[in-house]
Amino acid sequence: MSLRNFILGLSASFGLAWLFVVVVPFVRMRNLEPITLSKEVDGVTGVFYPKRAGRIVNGAKVYAENGCYLCHTQLVRPIYAGNDLYRPDWGGLAKDSERGDTRRETNAYDFEGETFAQIGSTRMGPDLSNLARRLDAAVAAKGGGDPAALLYAHLYDPRHNPELRKSTCPAYRFLFDRHEIKGQPSIDALPFGGDANTELVPSSDAKALVSYLLAMRKDQPVPAALNFAPIDKKAASR
Amino acid sequence: MSSAPSATATSDATLRAGIDRSLRHPVMFFLTSGAAWLAVSIVLAIISSIKLHYPEFMDDCGYFSYGRVFPAHLNTLIYGWGFQAAFGVLIWLMARMSRQECRAAGTILTAGHVWNLAVLLGTVGILRGSGTGMPWMEFPTFVWPGLLLCYVAIVVWSFIQFRVRDGGRSYVSQWYLLAAMIWFPWIFVTANVLLNCTSGHPVMAAAINAWFKSALMFLFFIPVALGTAYYLAPKLTGRPIPSASFARLGFWTLAVVAPWAGMQKLAGAPLPVFLPYLGAAATVLLAVPLAVASVNILRTIFSGEEKLPKSPALHFTLAGLMGVLLLAVAAIALNLPGRLQDPSGPAALKLTQFSISGYGFEILALYGCFSFIMFGAVYFIVPRITCREWISSRFINMHFFFSAYGIVAIAFGALFGGFMQGSAQEAWLQPWETVTDVVRPYAAMSTFAWCVILFSNVFFFVHLALMWLHLGLRGPNPTMLDSSTNLPAPATQPSH
Repeated sequence: MSLRNFILGLSASFGLAWLFVVVVPFVRMRNLEPITLSKEVDGVTGVFYPKRAGRIVNGAKVYAENGCYLCHTQLVRPIYAGNDLYRPDWGGLAKDSERGDTRRETNAYDFEGETFAQIGSTRMGPDLSNLARRLDAAVAAKGGGDPAALLYAHLYDPRHNPELRKSTCPAYRFLFDRHEIKGQPSIDALPFGGDANTELVPSSDAKALVSYLLAMRKDQPVPAALNFAPIDKKAASR
Repeated sequence: MSSAPSATATSDATLRAGIDRSLRHPVMFFLTSGAAWLAVSIVLAIISSIKLHYPEFMDDCGYFSYGRVFPAHLNTLIYGWGFQAAFGVLIWLMARMSRQECRAAGTILTAGHVWNLAVLLGTVGILRGSGTGMPWMEFPTFVWPGLLLCYVAIVVWSFIQFRVRDGGRSYVSQWYLLAAMIWFPWIFVTANVLLNCTSGHPVMAAAINAWFKSALMFLFFIPVALGTAYYLAPKLTGRPIPSASFARLGFWTLAVVAPWAGMQKLAGAPLPVFLPYLGAAATVLLAVPLAVASVNILRTIFSGEEKLPKSPALHFTLAGLMGVLLLAVAAIALNLPGRLQDPSGPAALKLTQFSISGYGFEILALYGCFSFIMFGAVYFIVPRITCREWISSRFINMHFFFSAYGIVAIAFGALFGGFMQGSAQEAWLQPWETVTDVVRPYAAMSTFAWCVILFSNVFFFVHLALMWLHLGLRGPNPTMLDSSTNLPAPATQPSH
């Protein structure tokens, strides 16, 4: 076989796959259109194009730089690919007192504002798709508080919470600064680790990361076109 | 009548010696600096592995946070050791097989230094918290164009040598090496341009990253390893490859199947559903080219009646080929998507998708297959280019056995532990803490195994450094692992 034919053979075998699994899907997914909602199936009109609040871009950068994606995923798989939806609070709530069953799998609009979806490598820790929802529940169970404060405490010392005593999550103490207290204590200061004159406050990176994590709330209703939940036959017949 | 062949033999020997001399400095540079990066990578692997079962370890230091050490470990293993070992072996093999002296040793050496600088900057970048967060591409963005330019400056000469070779014939090793030389820049440019220079859909970006990982493994490291093994096995045993058509089959099935693999990492993610399952199917099918090539080479080694020479290069190559066979089995075992209609059916993919078996698979490919065959090539090449023999068969034995025990422990531990972890993840009625508990013993075992691998490689580094300093043995007999064949006792001779 001549070198020319060899290179042609390689180009054909590689180029075909390259086109069909990389280039064409990349170009076709590039500009995702908003979904038009219709009155009959969705109950409302307008478009579905969710915006996420918070410091998504900065927070995603801190998330990536510190390797959170190595142990945490951001993917609630459909039931043919895994049991993620059954885990309490991972994909929404099975029994939401106001809205019924809000469980749903991850959709293509969930990563709005990011350049790289941190699907994740290994699940050493739990999935984070619905972290903010779980934090709300934790705060409610304690009778009030600030979900951000829970996250700051977790980032500073993951084993601070007695329930997470066995967690293998790394401590991110380098994301916190020790400040001298001048006048009023800082509003974000950690409830521990300080003394009479100093306090531990989250750095700008920690604030961005927490803002990003608090935007992880994937239990809003999705349009019928994206809702792959099996039809509840009993409810439909009623 | 007998003068003509002997004259050819002499001129052949002169030609070989000339090629070896022309490549001495670049090849030794790549092998020694690659070995140094391997040491760095193993130390980082130990640190990151300890953190998985003892998270308080070094947790005050941001530079050594798990989320930075682990990517630094894999990236130094790939770009520091893997690529440099591949460069050293590839430029030497291509020159020998094309029977051309290297005329660009200076350029290659310069590019090699720049490559090392780029890897150093990238590693420091990851550790100080400037990583990109894209697996296997974590080096800060400014690094990749430098790596690409160095790559071209290093391998383009091998391409030219192949182009101008005499006779126009080619051997199966050359197909693998040449193809790897062409595939890598294509893959690397595609992934980096699409992920760093243009903006696409974030989920598709993650899918391209998963494809890049798989393609780098199966279209660069595995072809370089198989090409090298196809060269070493017949050379060391003096027997021909049993089947040319199997060699062709193995090569072209790899070329056709491997580019489709990789996206199974995103099974269940919001992208066209055929992509992950096509990736899973292609990875399962990769067992065919892996098994065909490794069985073909193993048959070369085991075909004769007479006893095999106790050559260190042959031992490592043999172990690497066993690794390829195991990789073929793992490619099937980890990726069967099960019956889609019946979610309770046996579905390996959903168990392994987010478990440590992915890491086990990568380390098996990078260390168990690729590195072992590269070690074999190092033990073969270095005596030829330094004109000295290896000093101690005991050192080589220590390197071989402890490396083999270590990689077997990591590979089996992570592959099996991944299934246990995946089962715990799927058991949704149990609290999440059970998953952490399941991983802990496997992480502890992995720490121990990496320590064993570090121990084994100390012998390799010291030995290689001594050879680099021209302290190898002078003498007509190559160092064999069976001490009875080492005539005359070399230890009594001063090694100058």
